[in-house]
Amino acid sequence: MPLVYGELHRIARRCWISQPAGHTLQPTALIHEAYLKLVNQGQQSFQSRRHFFAVASMAMRQVLVNHAEASLTEKRGGGKETISLEDIDPALRQEAREVLSLHEALKELERIDPRKSRVVELRYFGGLSIEETAAALGVSTVTVTRDFQAARAWLARELGAGDAPAP
Amino acid sequence: MTADEWQAIEGIYLEASALNPVGRAAYLDRACMGDSKLREEVESLLEADLKRGRFLELPPSLLAADLLTRNPPALSPGLRVGEYEVQSLISIGGMGEVYLAEDTRTRRPAVLKILRRHLTADAHAVERFEREARAAGTLNHPNIVKIYECSKSDAGVFIAMEWVDGQTWRALLGRGEVPLPVAGDWSRQAAHALAAAHEAGIIHRDIKPDNIMLSKAGTVKILDFGLARLGGNVLPDVEASGASGTISGTLSGTLPYMSPELLRGERASSASDVFSFASVLYELFTGRHPFAGETPLDVFEAIECRTPDAPSSRRPGIPSALDRLLLAMLAGEQEKRPSSPAVAVELDAIVFGE
Repeated sequence: MPLVYGELHRIARRCWISQPAGHTLQPTALIHEAYLKLVNQGQQSFQSRRHFFAVASMAMRQVLVNHAEASLTEKRGGGKETISLEDIDPALRQEAREVLSLHEALKELERIDPRKSRVVELRYFGGLSIEETAAALGVSTVTVTRDFQAARAWLARELGAGDAPAP
Repeated sequence: MTADEWQAIEGIYLEASALNPVGRAAYLDRACMGDSKLREEVESLLEADLKRGRFLELPPSLLAADLLTRNPPALSPGLRVGEYEVQSLISIGGMGEVYLAEDTRTRRPAVLKILRRHLTADAHAVERFEREARAAGTLNHPNIVKIYECSKSDAGVFIAMEWVDGQTWRALLGRGEVPLPVAGDWSRQAAHALAAAHEAGIIHRDIKPDNIMLSKAGTVKILDFGLARLGGNVLPDVEASGASGTISGTLSGTLPYMSPELLRGERASSASDVFSFASVLYELFTGRHPFAGETPLDVFEAIECRTPDAPSSRRPGIPSALDRLLLAMLAGEQEKRPSSPAVAVELDAIVFGE
């Protein structure tokens, strides 16, 4: 997990530095790159590729949450040398807040229904398809579909999604 | 809310959401059995679902793009690294930063790769890397980028190499269809480079469009022979111009050009280079990666399990001899792939005609 986390972070940072402003980068692509890199370094401690994507989804959630926290905190503290998120893009600031509220809501969902929380993590943060999510969790695709539907309605209600632009 | 309460709410919600509004009201009457709190919960879920828009359907892309930014390039113009003077940043890759520089002795341009410090922390890895760089430095071939030296300086371990005034194949591939005779000529130039390296016992390990250049004079040059091992240069270098492709709308960045054996974590061989080279050529000739897919797992599984369509089915006019050659190079089993010298001979025959 720390390995995957570090790798995701490095790749994301590298891509960011040399991309023009406004360029978007999909977490799925980051995870995919991290996988290739770890395989190439002979880091074969993952039982399987599916296991890797499951771990990577968790790591991606953590990367995004940590970053969102850092940038919002920095804003409050009046970041000096670094550019605050606010200066970069209001949409980013909004997205940082949304990721944090989603993270909090997912923790609550995890308390009452851990599997649904995992389904959202894999589908949303990991970018896995229904079939891949089912394989990663060892359940049927029907279960994943139903879980995702119920979890999404629950989260949408908790977060008041629809009242504001969806994350 | 407790887990039990949620389970009851969820079950009724899922049933109700599958019904039309009329059937739904009747169903809720029955299922909630006068429990108004339960009914309220279910109805608020149904309502939230109606209003949710595209909630959770799109990945959190903005934020991922922004994972920040605190590491500015280490070297500024004018700085000396060994005998070289830094001029500008070219790209930031998996191995480190790449700069355009000038050799102060000859006033000729050169490219400097400064290795990332975390990669050079391991003395054994650095030693192995230097050994490989020196081996690659002995290659003298018009289609291989010349390595001048590999040394240490205050800035860290660096490699100085030939500067090529041109573009990578990655950039060229993003620009639309390449005429068949042109693609043929580029292919055979690259094939001869690969064959020469393999005959000298040097494996590339990371053949991909980012590592092949076309100079303004029309000469193909392969970059970074033998350098992939340190730090896993599997990642695409991100050029300062920001070139990146999107395949099927989901996978931004670069599709893997790895062979199935590398994907399984096995050792690279010259046959692995042949496979990767074929993936690149397939894309050059047809405009499509041979194993394109919707998700990363699709792509990996395709590399391991799928035989690609014949290139001529993607682009009419591709000769059948080229179909046969590329598919043979993409064979899953290493022993079934032709050697790179055989590939070069065959491409010459195809390009120059029998």
